[in-house]
Amino acid sequence: MALLQQIPVPLLAVNDTTLTVVEITRRSGEPVRKGDQLMVFETSKTTYEVVAEADGFVEFLCEVDGDYEVGAVVARIFSEAAEVATRQAPAQPGRSEQPVPPASKDIALAVWEGETLFSQAALQMMEARAIARGSFAGRDFVSARDVEALEAGLKKPATSAGNPSGDGPARRQRPVLPADPSRVIIEKLTSGKRREIEYLSEVQSTGLTSTLHTFFETRGIFGHINHSMQYLKNSLLPVICYETSRLLRKYPALNGYFTGEAVAYYREVNLGFAIDIDKGLKVLKLGAADSLSLPEIEQEIMRLSNQYLDDKLDIGDLTDITFTITDLSGEGVSFFKPLVNKMNSAILGVSSIDEQLKRCTLSVTFDHRVSEGKMVARFLSDLKGRLESYQSRFHPAVHKEITCFKCFKSLQEDLGDTGFVQCITPQGQEAYICQSCLKGF
Amino acid sequence: MMQAIKINHRIIKEALRIRKVEEKFLQLFSQGKLNGTVHTCVGQEFSAVAFAGQLKKKDFIFSNHRCHGHYIAFTGDVRGLLAELLGKASGTSGGIGSSQHLCHHNFFSNGIQGGIVPVAAGYALAGKLKNNGAIGIVFIGDGTLGEGVLYETMNILSKWEIPLLIVCENNFYAQSTPQHINLAGDIQARARAFGIRTFKGNTWEPELLMEQSAEAIAFVRDQQKPCFFQVDTYRLNAHSKGDDDRDPEDVALHRQKDYLHIFQQQSPSYYQMYEEAINQEIDAMVEEIFKESDLPIEKYFQPSTRTDDREWKTLEPVNKRQVELINTFFQEKLVSDERTVFLGEDIHSPYGGAFKVTKELSFLRPERVFTTPISEAAVVGISNGLALNGFRPITEIMFGDFMTLAMDQIINHASKFHHMFNRKVNCPVVIRTPMGGRRGYGPTHSQTLDKFLVGIDNVKTVALNTFIDPALIYRSVSSEEHPVIVIENKTDYGKKLLHTRPRNFTCQANGDPYPVVRISPAVSAPTLTLVAYGGMADMAASLLETIFSETDLLAELIIPSLISDLPLDILTESASRTGRLVVLEEGSPFGGIGGELIAGVTEKADVKIRVRRIAALPVPIPSVKSLEHLVLPEKNRIIQELKESF
Ligand SMILES: Cc1ncc(C[n+]2csc(CCOP(=O)(O)OP(=O)(O)O)c2C)c(N)n1
Repeated sequence: MALLQQIPVPLLAVNDTTLTVVEITRRSGEPVRKGDQLMVFETSKTTYEVVAEADGFVEFLCEVDGDYEVGAVVARIFSEAAEVATRQAPAQPGRSEQPVPPASKDIALAVWEGETLFSQAALQMMEARAIARGSFAGRDFVSARDVEALEAGLKKPATSAGNPSGDGPARRQRPVLPADPSRVIIEKLTSGKRREIEYLSEVQSTGLTSTLHTFFETRGIFGHINHSMQYLKNSLLPVICYETSRLLRKYPALNGYFTGEAVAYYREVNLGFAIDIDKGLKVLKLGAADSLSLPEIEQEIMRLSNQYLDDKLDIGDLTDITFTITDLSGEGVSFFKPLVNKMNSAILGVSSIDEQLKRCTLSVTFDHRVSEGKMVARFLSDLKGRLESYQSRFHPAVHKEITCFKCFKSLQEDLGDTGFVQCITPQGQEAYICQSCLKGF
Repeated sequence: MMQAIKINHRIIKEALRIRKVEEKFLQLFSQGKLNGTVHTCVGQEFSAVAFAGQLKKKDFIFSNHRCHGHYIAFTGDVRGLLAELLGKASGTSGGIGSSQHLCHHNFFSNGIQGGIVPVAAGYALAGKLKNNGAIGIVFIGDGTLGEGVLYETMNILSKWEIPLLIVCENNFYAQSTPQHINLAGDIQARARAFGIRTFKGNTWEPELLMEQSAEAIAFVRDQQKPCFFQVDTYRLNAHSKGDDDRDPEDVALHRQKDYLHIFQQQSPSYYQMYEEAINQEIDAMVEEIFKESDLPIEKYFQPSTRTDDREWKTLEPVNKRQVELINTFFQEKLVSDERTVFLGEDIHSPYGGAFKVTKELSFLRPERVFTTPISEAAVVGISNGLALNGFRPITEIMFGDFMTLAMDQIINHASKFHHMFNRKVNCPVVIRTPMGGRRGYGPTHSQTLDKFLVGIDNVKTVALNTFIDPALIYRSVSSEEHPVIVIENKTDYGKKLLHTRPRNFTCQANGDPYPVVRISPAVSAPTLTLVAYGGMADMAASLLETIFSETDLLAELIIPSLISDLPLDILTESASRTGRLVVLEEGSPFGGIGGELIAGVTEKADVKIRVRRIAALPVPIPSVKSLEHLVLPEKNRIIQELKESF
């Protein structure tokens, strides 16, 4: 008679303090073998399968569609079938058995198997508040701050910032129905949509966000950018990711989030870019984007997009995003208000290029609790400046090798803004010809 | 009526060329076309011709501020000299050195009185080790007989039988001061006291001087021994320019006595013919040189950009004491690399140095391990000379406190040679010394003086610690092209590598040639960036747990090993994350590495960081244990200061 395995809700992403059970593949009391699939969790970004680690009899303490806090035990495996029957109280969705500390970046989340060292200050606080050492199992060090954090987690368990649970604001809303419910067709939200609502409510529901827009001139911008691009020619995304991630170092407040009582600044710049091509809206991560070169960013975007299309995204490709860019430039919009993600303090939206005016709108929505309009305005103006610096007049060297085969004028020397035309010479060779030679003066 | 003279006209022409070049300099100087100053040897030219002119090509010369004559007589490179003084890129030192800092093939000059003597001795020693038959001359003035390093070197020259000829150009003045005011005793007797053979001659009898100098040179070459030559002479012009307080009558008298003057009187047509030819030659060169350009700054100085390696590898303990690891590396190096030479006081085995670092070395390769007299300045100077002449000396200064005695050799010689000779030479000398207290050795044997060693341009300063294998560091040191000072620590010698491993921390090092060690909490994010190096590193590591327990601050300890160029990116990143930066120093804080480090991090960081230096009290280190403990940064004070700061 033995308990062989306890299955807690795994910590898959820093931002996810609860997970949804989307599938339970066995029934309580059934015999299972090591390696059998037992259940499937869904995070905000991906799904995660749980398999049995021992032969035995499974007992589920959860229900499909329930949200459970990380760490809560949702299933166990026993050596004897009889043991299952005696325990039939399923865990309540959204209520964990143990307090879960708020998942802020300042607090260690990886698990430590060695002993836990306490500072004297921490021990004193614990004694005064009757907190047991065991509450910190899995930690390497426990400081006074950690004790405070734990307490904060205990006091406001489900709704405190950074630690919302499944029955957070989005789900507690009472359903609004017309007087005659038959006049509408009610469709249950997908868990993905629910998750999205929760994610966006976190910052937006405070009403303390604001959006600023600016535009930057795109005339001649691709001549230079395309030069560095292998695949994503005529795309603004890589260069915007590149410049934004570097700029964020100067604007740490845009690369952080509001914890509920303080501002957390991320140490890394992990840029997320939103993608939605048939497979649902996902935000993919360019890790440490501020240290990547432009070609590296392009490569990484290509790699992630391919993984996305092949359904092969890693959890790591989706988590710990510190700032998001949403690129609607392919959609013909002139400007829009992007929404700030949970545990972020700002988001950048990129609209389509206005081909007539040769410009493109950039929009930043930001959490006013962390930054303010003036700073964001400066950020936008910096970004605009950086992007416009790609215009070809700033980079004459790039076109060095392009010369008109007739008059030998180089593209660099050309004063017009239409560029050269690729052509075939009378000798059958590929070459360029300038507008003057092509059309006459 | 004067006696008809008999002299080789080639010698006359040589001396006259020197004079005409220098007269040109004076003319250009008064026209404001020369930068700085010149010291001419007008009146002393035959000394240059007799000594520098009679050496072989493979021989070498070290000279002083009054070096134009020696240079022309030895190298014949009048053009290079003219261009140098006119500050042109084609000058012998690219215009960097000007009058007193010339370098061409085996000719070197430096403007520090006396300092070149041990360097010349080292250069000569290198020739002797290579057994290439080369000998050298070092020129000094009579005023330089006041410099102590000269005597340290004469002692060694004699003991080690180094083939160097010291030529003392005795012109009876040192700058403005007549000899009788500052010089006691007899000049030659000084050298004789060391058992060095002496000669005496003068520039008024050039034929005789030529014979005597040839004899002295032959003696040095054949006997492979040093020799000292006193040449009485007189400079007819001012010390440098217009600064002449000598009795005009005395000067006029010597003008009459000047041999070129006599020659001019006696053979005016020859004199005129030679003079015209030489002047023409010089004028043509000067005209051409005027059209040339100066050295662009980029050719002289390229800013070095340090990029810290970010591949962190976990460190493993090694069950060997630091001193054994150093010694093993030295033994292997001595045997495998013929250019390696060890020097230092008491380094011969069986004693093997005060801290046994050089144990066994003299048994392995006795010819390349030199136990030296107590002469830090000369020994480091000799090391510089060895390094200039192709060897890789590793020199021990018995206690770090004694480094001050070698400072002129480090700062004015080793550090400057490469640049002041316009990158023609490198001086890859390695000077290693133990610092640090906690042994009760008291005020002059305990101090950590690293702050005086980290601001020397072109010199790297490295501090060993008990986390990185010293062999790894010494391997990097051995491949440097420029001087390196290695600070070891007395209390670390006996410790095993990584013997201090705080619980719940990870010890890692990056892949820099001089690795940076990072000791971080295993999982949690640190809340304090602590920096320690050298002997303080081990102590800091041992305190990490206590610091956490008592101050609630969870430290990440960063240990640089190259302390003359700090890993600012790594430090700034860490400190920006933790918001707190503390530097532990075993020396006193003012003007120290802590200040430098904090300034560097502050310049780079975008966020506000709270900082603190915890260092020794600003007094010499007491011997009595209770006080020594309190003067050096120790546990209670560190905790106390941390609590006060944050
Ligand atoms: C270490 C040092 N101290 C002082 C000086 C300044 N100085 C330059 S030349 C000189 C006089 C040197 O006299 P001496 O050695 O007799 O040579 P002379 O000038 O007579 O040729 C002095 C004091 C110096 N260059 N180096």
